[in-house]
Amino acid sequence: MAVLKRSGGFVALFWQGKIPDPREEAFCEALAERRFRTIENAASEETSVGWVTPALPTGDEFTPEDLDAGAATWLRMRIDKKVLPKKWLAVHLESEERARGKKLPPRERRELKQDIGEKLLPRVLPTINLVDALMFHERKTILLFGTSNAVIEAFGKLFFETFALPLDRANPYQCATRLGLDRDLVAGLDRLQPIRWPDVTGGDQPARRELPSVAPAAPVTEMPAAAEAGVEPEVVPFELDEEPQLEEPQLEEPQREEPRQEEPQQQEPGPEEPGQ
Amino acid sequence: MTESTNPSNAADAATHGFLGEEFLTWLWYRWETDGGEYDLSAGRRIGIALDDFLAFGAPSEDETEQTLRRGLPTRTPQARSALRQGRRLKKAKLILADGSRQWVATLDASTMTLSGVRLPEDAEDVESPQDRTADRAANWLAIYEMVMAVYGQFLRERLRNDYRESDGEKQANWMAE
Repeated sequence: MAVLKRSGGFVALFWQGKIPDPREEAFCEALAERRFRTIENAASEETSVGWVTPALPTGDEFTPEDLDAGAATWLRMRIDKKVLPKKWLAVHLESEERARGKKLPPRERRELKQDIGEKLLPRVLPTINLVDALMFHERKTILLFGTSNAVIEAFGKLFFETFALPLDRANPYQCATRLGLDRDLVAGLDRLQPIRWPDVTGGDQPARRELPSVAPAAPVTEMPAAAEAGVEPEVVPFELDEEPQLEEPQLEEPQREEPRQEEPQQQEPGPEEPGQ
Repeated sequence: MTESTNPSNAADAATHGFLGEEFLTWLWYRWETDGGEYDLSAGRRIGIALDDFLAFGAPSEDETEQTLRRGLPTRTPQARSALRQGRRLKKAKLILADGSRQWVATLDASTMTLSGVRLPEDAEDVESPQDRTADRAANWLAIYEMVMAVYGQFLRERLRNDYRESDGEKQANWMAE
């Protein structure tokens, strides 16, 4: 019997509205409607996404017992993808061109690619990706064990096809609205702007560049302790119980990161006069 | 310390990615100044500390991000310098403790995504695979709920009208040390 993993990463997803109780047959029936269907013998490049259970990765059977994970419901999405290996295609094209003794014109080359694809694809096995998720029905929350945008998108689409409800991805705003904060505080969220903490390095570091297009209408007010260069803040030494054994940290600069699809890199905002 | 606007970044404004980064930086501040302990409901007290990975966000798109790995990066001059420049933490590896149970995870603050999570050891009394799964599912939920509960504490502080003159100023002093 499969056991839930102990490590990995997850993103939280939320839904609003009603879906069947996972302990009821209706829930399993909904999953079965969108069960995984194999593309093992398909003769075209394609992707198949559907539900399976941790106990049975074919999607042939769904029972509440198979989905039971105590306080949670253990969902498993299977994504199979069949892609014609490019090197195989190149080998076949080259041997065909060699047999004909000439380089093929583009149109014939396209047709030949199609023929080769139809011949090879039924023999190509799809790649399999099993993505787990824990559903907490009462909390209307899912912890999806896949953090790539492609997986999150595929899961959201499958969930919508299954339950006709969209999923919202967690972000600081979404999470804040679900914490049961006072209404006044939640209302303040919409007006909230990033804090720009002062740069007190006073020239020993490169100065931060301001955006000229959003220059402040009034002088920027800094906090007293962080005032202009030359005014030293009061320093309270950090005390340690014991001297730490420092390993030399690796400073990596610059660090490039995958672009965020939903949240483009935050630019340094131009300053604004404090509201209060 | 000022509040600022940036109309060019609508997506971040909609998701409040900056708020997650402020939260992560606040966790560091709380850990260093207050021990990083948080009282949750039903008398539970948990602890959150920063571990051996820190990534500071770039103040603007044409400036560099800074990543510090291994050892005790929070104690390094580079980390202190980043704070003094007013940089926010974008990602950090955290250690969360609840009694004898301990989780490790890297929080991507602007998306509230947890990666590299390691759950506590399985409870000793779990025997069947089904019990083991249920125990782990509870532990997955627990780390999510701990982060959310502490995020709620941060927000109650951050959303106060006098935040910048009270706790915000204290944090600014700490960052400027």
